[in-house]
Amino acid sequence: MRKLLCLLLALTMLLAVAPAFGEELEPVTLTVFRGDPGDQPTDDNKIYKLIEEKFGVTFKFEYLAGDLDEKLGLMIAGEDYPDLFDGGNSADLIITAGALINLMDYINPEDTPRLWAHIEPQKARLIEKNAAGEDVLYIIPNYGLTYGDQIVNAVNGPAFFIQKQVLAWAGYPEIHTLNEYFDVIEAFLAENPENADGNPYTGFAILCEDWRHFCLINPVQHLMGRPNDGEVLIDVSTDEFHTETFIDKPYAKAYYEKLNDEYHKGLINQDTFVMNYDQYIAALSSGTVLGMFDQTWDFNTATYALQDAGMYENTYVALGLVYDPEYVDGREIEEHYVNGSLPNVRRGFGISTKCECPERIIAMWEEMLSDEWQIIFNWGIEDEDYYVENGRLLMTDQQYANLNDANWKLANKAEGFFQSSPKKQGWILDGEFAGNCWEPVNQPEIVLGLMNDYDKEFLGAYGYSKFADFVNPPIELAPYGEAWQIDYTPVEVAHTKFLQLQDSFLPQLITCDPAEFDALWDKFVSEITPYADEFGAYMQEAVLAEAAKVLGN
Amino acid sequence: MNAAASNNQMQAIKVKHKGFLRTLCSQWQMALMSVPVLLYVLLFNYFPLRGWIAAFEDYNPKLGFYGSNFVGLKNFKDLFGLGELPPEEFLLSIRNTLAMSVINLVFGTVSSILLAVLLNEVRKTLFKRTVQTVTYLPHFLSMVIVVGMAQNIFASGGPINDLLAQLGLIKEPVFWLGEGRYFWWLVGVINVWKEVGWNTIIYVSAMTSIDPCLYEAAAIDGAGRFGKIMHVTLPGIKSTFIILLIMNIGHLLEAGFEIQYLLGNVKVMDYSRTIDIYVLDYGISAQKYGLAIAAGMFKSVVAIFLLLSANFVARRLDENTLI
Repeated sequence: MRKLLCLLLALTMLLAVAPAFGEELEPVTLTVFRGDPGDQPTDDNKIYKLIEEKFGVTFKFEYLAGDLDEKLGLMIAGEDYPDLFDGGNSADLIITAGALINLMDYINPEDTPRLWAHIEPQKARLIEKNAAGEDVLYIIPNYGLTYGDQIVNAVNGPAFFIQKQVLAWAGYPEIHTLNEYFDVIEAFLAENPENADGNPYTGFAILCEDWRHFCLINPVQHLMGRPNDGEVLIDVSTDEFHTETFIDKPYAKAYYEKLNDEYHKGLINQDTFVMNYDQYIAALSSGTVLGMFDQTWDFNTATYALQDAGMYENTYVALGLVYDPEYVDGREIEEHYVNGSLPNVRRGFGISTKCECPERIIAMWEEMLSDEWQIIFNWGIEDEDYYVENGRLLMTDQQYANLNDANWKLANKAEGFFQSSPKKQGWILDGEFAGNCWEPVNQPEIVLGLMNDYDKEFLGAYGYSKFADFVNPPIELAPYGEAWQIDYTPVEVAHTKFLQLQDSFLPQLITCDPAEFDALWDKFVSEITPYADEFGAYMQEAVLAEAAKVLGN
Repeated sequence: MNAAASNNQMQAIKVKHKGFLRTLCSQWQMALMSVPVLLYVLLFNYFPLRGWIAAFEDYNPKLGFYGSNFVGLKNFKDLFGLGELPPEEFLLSIRNTLAMSVINLVFGTVSSILLAVLLNEVRKTLFKRTVQTVTYLPHFLSMVIVVGMAQNIFASGGPINDLLAQLGLIKEPVFWLGEGRYFWWLVGVINVWKEVGWNTIIYVSAMTSIDPCLYEAAAIDGAGRFGKIMHVTLPGIKSTFIILLIMNIGHLLEAGFEIQYLLGNVKVMDYSRTIDIYVLDYGISAQKYGLAIAAGMFKSVVAIFLLLSANFVARRLDENTLI
């Protein structure tokens, strides 16, 4: 017994002394703000433990609760900045307020070869010039710096969505236009007003809450055949990149008139306008909403819930709809919902001016861009979270299922940190795992193995091999990128009012008496025009400036 | 005026002065106790007032209060739609704020006095206490929860619509949450439900301090229950009522923010946007801090004016006053 105790004591002492032999790094706790909602990791999270062991860094996370702009506004007013600062979609606010340091002071080909190689191919888009003519980069994009060919297995962004059962019921038709879409939903609803449990189906839902009102205000540009440029429609056929706000144009009127029509046919429920996000997700998860316009990531929670419940026929397919020629003077519009991949410019972590150890964070990111760490973040720990067979990275069903388990991830993934950090995406180009994908979700074996029988059969009926086949392949990314990324803080006031008028009028237009539609539309256009003009003119300039960076003139 | 008289006066002033010091010294314990409160008020109420300077600036956090550019009255002009901001919107938010404040004030006061009077008439202590506890518990609920409940209760397929439909009062469900004209009243009803018990406490305690002799005298004079309420209970709480009214009038421009923010949606925007939400949209979210501060200043000035006028009217009516 005594011997055992002695041994234990010796071991403990040895363990206590062991780290002293390694590199001496003073432990530091970094405060982290994330511009989106999320949950705190568990205290014994294995990846954070690994980071602590290797880099001596621990994190203290704060996630967004409530409205992002308000939160950032308050942080700026109090100069109350975290060390790692992710301003979400409003990072322009914190950049303008001078809250972030210039990363170019730390990043260069000699000291940080991996970081440099990571941003170099897109440096025209990423690195800007400040007033003094120096190179500035405040944020290394969290997503979109991809390696190898673009991977499109599924539509990840905006689309019109429809429940698979509606298409199956209609005999797997090809749906390409607005009219075809609503016709099939109408027909389904006429024959199946309720689901098996006796709950009524809703034909089409529109989420209007807060910043998620893109479900209400964005579709028109896509119906006109463009990928997501936010609130403007851009003509990419010439180098002038004619940019206009679309919501006040006659071709937008057609969409809302169509919705008005569908509202009076009972496809759209008035409750949709007073729904908050949670209620929307609850409605989708119940399987009673047949269709909506949204972006895939926005309702992932509902998709997972439906899959968990085995309600595969209630999950959604992304369709790329365009206007029928009758709405646009007989023109045939070509559909483009999926864009070429682009760096998520000015989104992700910046390092704030309050951070006392920026060089340490940079050094950590540099090290983390190694294959080893990228695989730890993406795939996890070998033989625990994934296994290797003949040079292929693979997961068992259980291992993959874990990736969709929110609670498991809090203990076993470092998402709070990694999601906003620089990362490699796409294909692994060299090294021992060349030919694999950086992210499990894209790995071909996993994509195929994951698909449940319902989906396989569903795709088989169409003769497709993946869900992205429902839309056209990606078009080449326009030189300006995607216009929703453009910083519009200089016209913030006009933009606020521009959005507010849409929030206020569009639901009215959808629910009003059809006889009053024209008059109300004219009123909407006359009220919004001054703000639309100001915002549109600004965006035109900005798009040209953005394009010039890449085209180099 | 002769020298003696003037000397006398001087002496009087001196004595008075001495008197103040002497009083202060003799009450030093109390003076000491008031120091923390005094510091608190100075630090949290007066010290932040220096920020008002930003109401006259194009405030930029990078440059700070004393470094930002002065723009004169531009923020105030913007506020009232004379500058670059859309006209009428601030006025609309003032209208909504006032409407909801007045509804809250009237509903809140009437309902809590009514409940207090009813409770006062209850003889069974256990019942009285139970009712009091049950009615004031919602005060401790977060507004988020209250609004969440209200959204379910007033939903198109919710219990209120079901009830009305079963009573045959309506054929189609009423769209309570999506019609602007219901919004103010909905806010009023929710506020009453949440706060009625809490507001009652002060009236109930005022009623317990009414001299029982008055009730006995009224009974001898032939007053019934109703007569006692009218002539003894209500006059007995009049001073409490007036003081609370004065205080509430000072807060007229604060109709609350949470409830409108949470219950509001795109369908009722024109009725739900209060001054606070306006400030949030243009001041904080759109980074026009100067404007937000100008709006806050405007609110404070109006509040002081309202408070003083209510006080003045009360004094004219020879009632108890606050100041």
